Amino acid sequence: MPYHTFKCSECIPERAMHAVVKGPGEDLTSCLPLGYLNTIPGTISERGCAFCGAKHVIGAPMKDVIHLCHGPVGCTYDTWHTKRYISDNDNNQLKYAWATDVKEKNVVFGAEKLLKKTIIDTFKAQPHLKRMTIYQTCATALIGDDMDAVAREVMEELGDVDIFVCNAPGFGGPSQSGGHHKINIAWVDQKVGTKEPKIESDYVINYVGDYNIQGDAEIMCDYFHRMGIQVLSTFTGNSTFDELATMHRAHLNVLECARSAEYICNELRVRYGIPRLDIDGFGFDLLNESLMKVAMFFGLEEKAQKIIDEENARWRPELDWYARRLKGKRICLWPGGSKLWHWAHVIEEEMGVKVVSVYSKFGHQGDFEKGVARCSEGALAIDDPNELEALEAMEELKPDIILTGMRPGEVAKKIRIPYLNIHAYHNGPYKGYEGWVRLARDLYNAIYSPMYQLAAIDISKDEIPLERGFRSRRMISDVTLSPEEANVEGEHPYTGEYDNVTRLRTKVYPELEAQRAKHQEAAEEVLVPAK
Amino acid sequence: MGDTKFCELKPKDRAGVINPIFTCQPAGAQYASIGVKDCTAIVHGGQGCVMFVRLLFGQQFKENFDIASSSLHEDGAVFGATKRVEDAVDVLLMRYPEVKVVPIITTCSTEIIGDDIDGVVTKLNKGLLKQKYAGREVHLIPMHTPSFTGSMITGYDLAVKDFVEHFAKKTEPNGKLNLLTGWVNPGDVTALKHLLAEMQVDATVLFEIENFDSPLMPDKSAVSHGDTTIEDLQGTANAIGTLALNRYEGAQAAQYLKSEFDVPAIIGPTPIGIRNTDIFLKNVSAMTGKPIPRSLVEERGRAVDAIVDLSHMFFADKKVAIYGNPDLVIGLAEFCLDMEMKPVLLLLGDDNPSYKNDPRIKALQENVDYKMEIITNADIMDLESRIKNKEVELDLILGHSKGRWTSIDNGVPMVRVGFPTFDRAGGYRHPVVGYAGAIWLAEQMANTIFTDMEYKRNKEWILNVW
Amino acid sequence: MDETMKEKIEILADYIMHRCLWQFHSRAWDRERQNAQILGVAKQLLLGEEPDLSTPELKCYWLDGFHLAKGFRQRFDWVNQMSKEELATLMDGLKERVDYLTIHGSLNKELTVAAY
Repeated sequence: MPYHTFKCSECIPERAMHAVVKGPGEDLTSCLPLGYLNTIPGTISERGCAFCGAKHVIGAPMKDVIHLCHGPVGCTYDTWHTKRYISDNDNNQLKYAWATDVKEKNVVFGAEKLLKKTIIDTFKAQPHLKRMTIYQTCATALIGDDMDAVAREVMEELGDVDIFVCNAPGFGGPSQSGGHHKINIAWVDQKVGTKEPKIESDYVINYVGDYNIQGDAEIMCDYFHRMGIQVLSTFTGNSTFDELATMHRAHLNVLECARSAEYICNELRVRYGIPRLDIDGFGFDLLNESLMKVAMFFGLEEKAQKIIDEENARWRPELDWYARRLKGKRICLWPGGSKLWHWAHVIEEEMGVKVVSVYSKFGHQGDFEKGVARCSEGALAIDDPNELEALEAMEELKPDIILTGMRPGEVAKKIRIPYLNIHAYHNGPYKGYEGWVRLARDLYNAIYSPMYQLAAIDISKDEIPLERGFRSRRMISDVTLSPEEANVEGEHPYTGEYDNVTRLRTKVYPELEAQRAKHQEAAEEVLVPAK
Repeated sequence: MGDTKFCELKPKDRAGVINPIFTCQPAGAQYASIGVKDCTAIVHGGQGCVMFVRLLFGQQFKENFDIASSSLHEDGAVFGATKRVEDAVDVLLMRYPEVKVVPIITTCSTEIIGDDIDGVVTKLNKGLLKQKYAGREVHLIPMHTPSFTGSMITGYDLAVKDFVEHFAKKTEPNGKLNLLTGWVNPGDVTALKHLLAEMQVDATVLFEIENFDSPLMPDKSAVSHGDTTIEDLQGTANAIGTLALNRYEGAQAAQYLKSEFDVPAIIGPTPIGIRNTDIFLKNVSAMTGKPIPRSLVEERGRAVDAIVDLSHMFFADKKVAIYGNPDLVIGLAEFCLDMEMKPVLLLLGDDNPSYKNDPRIKALQENVDYKMEIITNADIMDLESRIKNKEVELDLILGHSKGRWTSIDNGVPMVRVGFPTFDRAGGYRHPVVGYAGAIWLAEQMANTIFTDMEYKRNKEWILNVW
Repeated sequence: MDETMKEKIEILADYIMHRCLWQFHSRAWDRERQNAQILGVAKQLLLGEEPDLSTPELKCYWLDGFHLAKGFRQRFDWVNQMSKEELATLMDGLKERVDYLTIHGSLNKELTVAAY
């Protein structure tokens, strides 16, 4: 059997089938951990709750919305300032956190009046915002407030506002994923189809399951725009409430994170006949193919090929420079969900690293199918890992770096394993060709950090080299390379800018402009029929 | 003078919260819990109530802290989840053999569903702990911290009291002071212990958190955790007296020790700034009979010397807004006044009804001769909207990182102080209390104002000569 | 089916597992549809037949099927050497194998949960 039992978890029989090692000859019919089951109390799991899955992961990246949490203040406070989902409207969604601040008397007598007053007062305090999502929390779910009724009432009274109601309390599901599901379905049920978009291109998509972490979604939209494709919405990073209400008019749903957003794509397929295309925005090879697939749907192959050729030529030499130095480095790929499969194989193929372990905090078995299918022989896959298991895995596997969140990263730091923030990124975006190089750069910088070398030295007993007052990364990374390997013509470290996203916001896209002009003309012809 | 209209104390007049200053009660209890050695709390609620609080502590200290959860899910919310607490205790104890102290911290959800955690503790004490863990010292401490009552401040205050109440045991006088620091940083504890060492006073510090700033060791041995032991907590009943530095964070425990064990208690003032540090030392001296040594006179002199260089040239009449933990805010306001500044807006992030009886607030109301507002139940939008509507014109903000955008977007320089400070490096390492804290605060304020002058080209040339 | 054909099927199945996402929709009925359509298109293309692109849905299957067939031809030269009969056997066997891996032999307990 491929199941792996951690020594630290031998005493918890329920954990027995939550980790597997992909041994020789194993496939998905013999090697798959359990997933998406209730968390075992007291394990010190890394999971969040369903509320955070709904509000914090999916709802809050919407950029022109008041994200009002109906509950005590902690739910909103604690999930604020923990993400790097940026937007092109000055990051409204990063700057503000809203709550009804439910108190004891509200718990006793009901909090609907408080909710109504807070909605009205908040719109008044920030009159430039006309859209709102109200999120249920554990407390208000348990007291049974009818948030839908209050929202309807306020919409009628105020007239010019639109409110979305998300009923995904923290306890609603084994993990964050319960909230992903609920907010997806609620959005389709309540808002999709309530607004009509201005169609400006013959080629119209939604880009789904990207939260614009450090600009990921904007990078992908750049490629689409260069082909003349109109992106109606990105679900949900950097999108407006109203854009997302027009999702029903897309010709194609391009799906990135199938964990958090496949539900909405499935519903849009069934209800509106919009096909779902799953793609990979990470890694040169997969991205080449993904862009070509989207292009082919619209007959834009030449335009896609041009982008692919340009981008590969520009960034490949930089990726190769890093790959040469990352070869054989052992990584633990420990994200929340989707990067488990998006990165598992392509990071080995293109950066030469070895993925020795994958885990998912909140994924389902379907996510592990993808992750286990894509990772190499010998990898340890863990569902809902806990603190001691992660430590044991690191001790056994001896990774050179772990890709995880900030707090587990601090655990790793103490045992002298560098970490890279896979949720918020170190210096992303990591999507796109340049982004993939930025990831390679960040991995390289962490693995060859001179500080981590210094961290290993015990000055009370170790000899230390006295001849030089410094050591650069290059001096550490290149010792195992031959002079020829270290100096391959054309290969060099990253040369992009610190911020490679902001400039995209004012970029002009001739293909898209041409489409716009064409559609504008057609619209005018309808208004003024030609004689 | 004496006209209260200059300084108004009033609650925020908008319903709800936009950019909260505090989080909820369970977070405060969790913060207290990580200060105790061999202690891992179990938060009885959803996973998020722990995960994000741990992340918050992680951001503050750039370290990891372990706190467990009963991981409430749908079935528990419907049918009650006391069994999940029992399981959590067992699983935790099985896998963490060093754990001796397990606070069980409730949340909004489990208080609403009415889980009887006191009953669970009784049951576990009689059953599981007697049988499976016979011979192992384990303390289960129920802590009722519903999120819809109070704030992280009251949660902390309550947890300190619960710890003391659980452990304090009268035996022999130990000749020590109890020092209840309130919600402070490792740097503050170091500064306070330094002052006591200079006074040759031995103290039980609640909590010993200097190790929150833990090293990265070549043998991988270090982890961040508090060092207050069970014996320390037991001994609090045998102290010569208790100094609770903060009125809102630890005072309940001091009062308990006084009423239960006749341990004399002095509550406050928070030793922020020269004057409040002076009072603190006088209180220590009064309680212990130890004189204030010349070394502290010199240390004080160095701080005064540094501030004299700054106050009337650079600080005089500068308008300051301050938000954060109430004792911190009030202490900073007092210090600002001593440095000739004008704190014009104080924001206290919860609706604690006793603020109006706080003698420090009364003193401000009686003596301030310019318009000052003190807002209770306040949020950071109360600051932002006043700046945007030009109701206040500020030279400086003192507050934690949650208000960073108010500073950035409105071009008001800000010194990061309080919890949480995650957008500046090493904040936790520097004290705000004691003479050392006074120097650090004054110089941070000065340097922040200087940098702002240079960015804005606002008499930046003045520093050509100083 | 001879051993070499089985090996070839395994190689192609492995290629799909490492590279594609379409076979992992969340429920059994979705997977049946995806596998049938996309592997169907790939088979048609390998056999030189014209797939039906008359609806957006069919076109979307074609995107994945096209790249699958292209990948097979590029990476495994032996695919280019096979007769139509062999290709048909290969692709039918592959469909059966992928169905087994993702549906009939799958350990994923959520595949048959009625609601998404």
